[in-house]
Amino acid sequence: MSLIRRVWTPGAADEWRKEDWIAIVLSVISYITLTVGVALSFLLLTAGFIILGVSIVITLLMYWVIDPKLRMISSEYEKKQKDYLKRLEEIQKWEDQK
Amino acid sequence: MISFALLDWVWLISFTLLMVIFGMYFYRLGKRSESDFFLAGRGLPWWLPASSVYATHTATDTPIWIAGVVYKYGFAGLWYAFFSAWCAVSAFVSTKIFRRSLAYSQAEWQSLRFSGLGSEMLRGWVAGWQVFMNMFILGWVGIAMGKLCGLLFGWDLWLGLVLFTSIGAIYVLMSGYWGVVMADFQQGVIAFFIIVIVSIWGVVAAGGPDGIISKLKTYNSTCEWKVPAEIADQSRASIRIVDPETCKIYAQSPAPFVIQQHRDEEFFKWTEDRTLKLVTDVIPQRSQNVEILFPGVGDTLLAGYGYNVIWTAGKTGKRVNIDFSLDEGQTWANIDVNHFDGQSWRINPFSFSGFSKGRFPVAWFVTMMIIALIGGFGMGTSFDWYTEAQRIQSAKTVRDASYSIWAGTALVLIRNSIWAAAILGFFVIYPHLGRGTDYEMGWYIVGFKYLPIGMVGFLFAGILAIHLSTVSTQLNLGAMYATRDFYHHYVNPQASEKKLIRVGRISTFIILIGSFIFGTIIGEEITQWLIFALWIMAAGVWLPNILQVIWWRFNSWGFLSAWIANLGLSWLVVWILPRFGIIPELPDYIQFWILMVLNALIYLPVTFLTKPGNMDHLVKYYVMSRPIGFWGPVRKEAIKRGLLNPIE
Repeated sequence: MSLIRRVWTPGAADEWRKEDWIAIVLSVISYITLTVGVALSFLLLTAGFIILGVSIVITLLMYWVIDPKLRMISSEYEKKQKDYLKRLEEIQKWEDQK
Repeated sequence: MISFALLDWVWLISFTLLMVIFGMYFYRLGKRSESDFFLAGRGLPWWLPASSVYATHTATDTPIWIAGVVYKYGFAGLWYAFFSAWCAVSAFVSTKIFRRSLAYSQAEWQSLRFSGLGSEMLRGWVAGWQVFMNMFILGWVGIAMGKLCGLLFGWDLWLGLVLFTSIGAIYVLMSGYWGVVMADFQQGVIAFFIIVIVSIWGVVAAGGPDGIISKLKTYNSTCEWKVPAEIADQSRASIRIVDPETCKIYAQSPAPFVIQQHRDEEFFKWTEDRTLKLVTDVIPQRSQNVEILFPGVGDTLLAGYGYNVIWTAGKTGKRVNIDFSLDEGQTWANIDVNHFDGQSWRINPFSFSGFSKGRFPVAWFVTMMIIALIGGFGMGTSFDWYTEAQRIQSAKTVRDASYSIWAGTALVLIRNSIWAAAILGFFVIYPHLGRGTDYEMGWYIVGFKYLPIGMVGFLFAGILAIHLSTVSTQLNLGAMYATRDFYHHYVNPQASEKKLIRVGRISTFIILIGSFIFGTIIGEEITQWLIFALWIMAAGVWLPNILQVIWWRFNSWGFLSAWIANLGLSWLVVWILPRFGIIPELPDYIQFWILMVLNALIYLPVTFLTKPGNMDHLVKYYVMSRPIGFWGPVRKEAIKRGLLNPIE
């Protein structure tokens, strides 16, 4: 079994798995390196360009880890969305339920 | 005041027309349904809400705020603006959960997550609070625009407020959220261009990147000092620079200087000029000795005014404390602790001043990171959540919603960093400014002073773009709460789509008028009180905002009690108890932890002493939203009812 799961079933994609946690950690590191990297790069500091490069790599890695799971969640959810919207409007029209 | 050349007017008028016409163009789409007027029919690809997140959070007061913290703290000031990083976690947690709930607003989400009377009370409270806050924010950014126009063109305050907010209202009234989001995309592109161009100009004006770095390395040390207003007229004062660990005195004023209560304009200007000359011209000494350059012998300072204490950066070590005395050195009061010597610390984003002391302590940084990042697991832990929630629901899929929030915030962080580089350039040119009101205008000053003729109109068009994007969002968002959560839910649940859009437009107009009233009455004190109100929202209800997402047993009564308790506890901890000397005045990050714990002592017992939410309601919510966290009993019930597959 591979370290990062890339093929998802609808049921498994809906669960919280390690790929979610990996994406969250990478996302945080990406934001921090992006903030520091851009500021230092604007002053043409070498460290800035390196940190910015790290940020881009981490962002791509995050996308690679989480995108298959997000795609599966979205496609499955869209099939049910119409029914859920109907329920939402029923709650909104609460007088009918009284 | 500035004067516009013909080319400036061409830039300004064409951009304004372009933005407004572009927003109005979507009139036909906006009037189709309530969902179109407030969520663009829930059909947007990720990059459109992303650009809206970025454009909305770039307001006329944002560069003022960023300039203030970066001028004061250097690149470490970037962490003051890092609270938006809650989206790093939220994009893959609460954004996903909220998008799956399909709630129009955070208020509506309360009635999906909770049940019974408590949920209705929460919905009403959140919606009412939001309508009020939307009006306040509109008044706040509107008056910032009024002040800017007063500064640039000499207009009356109300004219800039009313004129430019009304321009934004035109396309919001016509096209609703379709107009907002489409204009936001265009305004975001314009604003980003302007920010990059002005910032490059700022860096070049300061001598380029190399010039900024070399000047920061050779400049004398400076430290901001607001002379206490209560110091008696003609007091004689001294300054000293001390080692924080050994208490060794590095330098002390050779003779006292004078502090006076009344302002002498001629002298005032002389002092300002002398300060600038000292910081920029006096070559730092390379000996062990440190010399205080300002305030010096013969100087007279104004009580209640801000200055920069200046001393030659010697080989003193990394940090120093700066004290002042009013009794010829008998007793000393602190101006700043653990202040970095020299200026090169300004390019280090991690220039901490100690664990809990000084202007940039590690404890503050850690608290801020926890608030921002852990806050991403909840909903409403940041005030920006409420605008983001609308963008999340307007995305066409769960995946688009996640990416829109992530990318929009990444743009916000990039923008902050670009601004920060320009502000360092501004510091190099104007290192003597000791008052926030002077240096907070740094980015605008760079733009209006250094851009060539013909580009100033381009800059003002960019400022207008960031103003309109914020104004249009707040107008439409406030109208959504008023229409969806009040009118549609309580007043007329059977209303037709046509009627709802009409109510949406009327609500937009009422909020517009309300914002004018707010804008004209907003003073420094009111602003401080309302910032305090926002702080109340952040501190005590931060954890409940997370618990409502991750813990099934947390019920509406627990959440309501957290809100109510927080109102009282915030007053006690922040104002009342320090005022009576019962507790000392605490730094904001310590107040945060105290409020969090005290509040929990109230809402946790309330939660456990009241019944859990209705299980039918919770199961429906769980199956639909699939929240993270402690939902075991609800999940079991869903499996029992055959709504979830047990092997998943």
